[in-house]
Amino acid sequence: MAAIPRGLTYKGIPLWRHTQVIHAALQVVSGLVAVSLVAWFFVNIGRAIRDREIPYGFSFLSREYQTPIGQHFLPYESSDTFLYAFGVATTNTIIVSIVGVILATALGIFVGVCRLSGNWIVSRAALAYIEFFRNVPLLVQLFFWFYIVLALPPVREGHVISDLIYVNNSGISVPWLQAATIGGGLLYFALAAAAVFAGVAVHRAMIRRETTTGRSSYPLFLGISTTVVIGVACWLGMTAAAGQAPFSISIPEPQGTFGRPVGGFTASGGLLALLAGLVIYTSSFIAEIVRAGIQSVGRGQNEAARSLGLPYMNTLRHVTFPQALRVIIPPLISQCLNLTKNSSLAAAIGYSDLTNVAKTMTQTAPAVSIFILIMVAYLAMSLTYSIIGNLYNRRISFS
Amino acid sequence: MDTETEQLSEDIIVCTDLHKWFGSFHVLRGITTSVKRGEKVVILGPSGSGKSTFIRTLNRLEEHQRGTIVVDGIELSNDVRNVDAIRSEVGMVFQQFNLFPHLTVMQNITLAPQKVRKWPRAQAEEVANELLTRVGIPEQAGKYPSELSGGQQQRVAIARALAMQPRIMLFDEPTSALDPEMINEVLDVMRELAHSGMTMLIVSHEIGFAREVADRIMMFDEGIIVEEGTAEEFFTNPKHDRAKEFLSKILS
Amino acid sequence: MSANPETTLSTALPPPILDRGLLGWAHANLFSSRFNAALSILSAALLGAVAWFSLRWVIQDSDWTLIATLSGRLIIGPYNTEQACPGQDCFWRPQVSLLMVTTLLGMAWVAAGGGLTKRIAIGVTAVLAAFSLLPNGLEEMGMDVRLLLVANIPALALGWALARYTPLGTVRWIAILAVCTFAATLLLLGGREGVPGLQPVSVIHWGGLMLNLLLAVAGIALSFPIGIALALGRRSDLPVVKLLCVVFIEVFRGVPLITLLFMSQVLVPLAFPEDFPLNSLYRAAIVITLFSAAYMAENIRGGLQALHRGQTEAAQSLGLPNWQITLFITLPQAIRNVIPAIVGQFIALFKDTTLVYIIGMQDIVTYSRAFIQGNPEFIPSALELFIFLGLVFWIFTYSMSYISRQIEQNLGVGRR
Repeated sequence: MAAIPRGLTYKGIPLWRHTQVIHAALQVVSGLVAVSLVAWFFVNIGRAIRDREIPYGFSFLSREYQTPIGQHFLPYESSDTFLYAFGVATTNTIIVSIVGVILATALGIFVGVCRLSGNWIVSRAALAYIEFFRNVPLLVQLFFWFYIVLALPPVREGHVISDLIYVNNSGISVPWLQAATIGGGLLYFALAAAAVFAGVAVHRAMIRRETTTGRSSYPLFLGISTTVVIGVACWLGMTAAAGQAPFSISIPEPQGTFGRPVGGFTASGGLLALLAGLVIYTSSFIAEIVRAGIQSVGRGQNEAARSLGLPYMNTLRHVTFPQALRVIIPPLISQCLNLTKNSSLAAAIGYSDLTNVAKTMTQTAPAVSIFILIMVAYLAMSLTYSIIGNLYNRRISFS
Repeated sequence: MDTETEQLSEDIIVCTDLHKWFGSFHVLRGITTSVKRGEKVVILGPSGSGKSTFIRTLNRLEEHQRGTIVVDGIELSNDVRNVDAIRSEVGMVFQQFNLFPHLTVMQNITLAPQKVRKWPRAQAEEVANELLTRVGIPEQAGKYPSELSGGQQQRVAIARALAMQPRIMLFDEPTSALDPEMINEVLDVMRELAHSGMTMLIVSHEIGFAREVADRIMMFDEGIIVEEGTAEEFFTNPKHDRAKEFLSKILS
Repeated sequence: MSANPETTLSTALPPPILDRGLLGWAHANLFSSRFNAALSILSAALLGAVAWFSLRWVIQDSDWTLIATLSGRLIIGPYNTEQACPGQDCFWRPQVSLLMVTTLLGMAWVAAGGGLTKRIAIGVTAVLAAFSLLPNGLEEMGMDVRLLLVANIPALALGWALARYTPLGTVRWIAILAVCTFAATLLLLGGREGVPGLQPVSVIHWGGLMLNLLLAVAGIALSFPIGIALALGRRSDLPVVKLLCVVFIEVFRGVPLITLLFMSQVLVPLAFPEDFPLNSLYRAAIVITLFSAAYMAENIRGGLQALHRGQTEAAQSLGLPNWQITLFITLPQAIRNVIPAIVGQFIALFKDTTLVYIIGMQDIVTYSRAFIQGNPEFIPSALELFIFLGLVFWIFTYSMSYISRQIEQNLGVGRR
């Protein structure tokens, strides 16, 4: 019998048994079903918008929002537009995410390393921490921290630590840097970043010198010195040029009938509770990721390194961590994304994050449009995370 | 007096009444032996007899609980400095190679000399290239371990250990994880190393190799050395019943 | 030649005193080095201080009367209030559905042949029966409430007997009955106009832990098959199917659940006619299910990817058709390999049921919080309340992860 010729041929095969036909049909059918479902959904919404006279469109964005926003990192007035208010809310979410991710990662690594400690007490304590905090809903934990802050004394009777730090039930006020002019502040930030950059470059160069010549070159010391020297020089230069330092320290001071501290930086109770809850909750997941990552590096690796005479810290740095990181980073990134998304629970405890503000906006603006905006904002954030993840995956291309 | 100092300098490893427990299981039950500079010792014995544990105590991958081990004049104790000093003088080759998968062959070999011996990179790489030529794979320096065959990986592992210029080399069943056709390429490297005068302790089941290279055979069983002697004596005229039994099993 | 002089082999000795028993354990785990010893003392002191202050707070300063005040309402929320169920006592309805659940547990005990299922069944029944002994009573807890709680014991026995002596004791029948029980529960809780004693209760009054459990059970049961379908779709050779699944998964994973829930409240009703009977409970359940299914799909896809190609090839060489290979060869192995991740997702789903606060449903957390806000004299007791709620959730979620570890051990994953 002759071999059946390959390729697109229908000869001799009934259409309903031909794999290519079946596949094509399946695709067309599933595509049509999906497209018509989505179309049905939006057509219906469109019809509802028309029939029930529901407002839509984006013209509201240039209107004044006219609603206060509790805590905000960008300057904000009620007379600002919806669009700007949306930006303020997004910044609030982004700042909580960045601070939260940094703290949660640090705490998670610490707890994960404790979990692996040879010390029974330390490892059991870490286990208890992990098992408790990751098994209780974040919302319950947020309320817990929220009411802890509320249980602090009221503003007038609040704790004051050496006239600098004010702790009371509306939050914590601490001294903070105050830029003399916004432009000057930004310029100094840029210069400081350049100083850090230069320090890192010196550090790298000195390490290279050490490995190629074998002479001790004090990379850490020289790197840090470079940063400090450039930083101080820029500060003095800018002070001389503008007649005032780029930043001054603003100290909170009680004012008004309630004695509410003004100046410095005030973290509202909502922000504090949100950060505490997010950081502790996420760190319990990160701790497990770190533990699993370090344990995934075989015992033999450690033994081989130690048998070469590599000291403990060198073994960790050059053998264990580089291998563990490959296992740790991808789930770590997805935990950081979770933290960002979970920050939307802020609505429950009165921190003005993206979701909370958007929810309030729906009362005075078309809900449909606002949903499109927040979907886009969140999808953009998660896209950022997956780009970071992909970049990392591309970098570790060995084995 | 003269002979005594000579004796002292000749013995590079001295173990006295060495004991080790895993939980309540008594693995090493009093090992007293010594190894001379330049001596090649092949250690035989059934699995679970404590032979691997024994050589792993010699660079403190396992802690012993009773007795003393003196390596090249330094006693192995809880002093971290002693342990690190001994580990950089004692090379070890593992059954599972244990190459670092995230580093190239070159980086595997140069990591410890650079970090422990503080050699400049150029020097470490020069030594590494010499060693790779010596183990017969000079062209593989830029590859990652996963791109090499088992035999090649084990030869890299030997080069990595040699890069620290150790005075003693420990081999823990270096050919047991290899496919048969790769065993000889590794044994050839070890043979060449033996002729260069290195002190070697080898846990192995390769009888032909043992006969050819070993100055002394140690036979372990149930945590003690049941018999030791030259290869000739051991293989032709074993004294102990356990040794006879073991030989009949592996030679058949 | 120096053969060992003793002809008999040396005998095993006990390890040195420092490495033996409790002392040996302490030496290895607490005092193996000077650093370790310092760490032990420091951490023990720290933990001791924490324990001391917590204990003192629990004994001296805390006030748990709020928990007792809420009691039964924590479990059913506003379900039995005058507003929800005017002129009637409705507490018996959730209790009857609970009896059906214990009956099912009794049947499962027989079908599984004892073991873990038996322990779960007995444990759950014992806890429920023990509730009837609580001194100051679940809210308005009369004799009937107590009796219905105790009735869980005969219900368990009934289930056991049914499975033992009738042909109903198979996994298939139990699954069918479980679905029926769920449907019956919904009907029972919802009530029906005109049926005496079954006055309708609107879903906006369903609440408390009951609501969390209903949403979790429905979500788990539905998100699992949908997740499998999405995972298979994402690995499909058909580009259109694959694209659809990828878009679905990534969109649902990219947006926070509460945003989706809120959207379901405001946007979804627009897509349906104004009189369409799609209430907020069903909308919440659907959104939670789809959200969870997207995550479930990724977990299962991980399991499928980890499978060795040889399994598929062996099955193909036996002449199995593709759908059978998937159903009987690859899927069971993939799922078994990712049981911890799947159970982790179930736990996440259960925790996520608390997010229905955004659409104003009265689950256990929202109801309690609303109660505090409505009765400010209880604000000082808020900490006690949320610690208690944390413990309640922890008991459920930790039991789930405990069960998953037991299942894993029984299947011998990782030791094949």
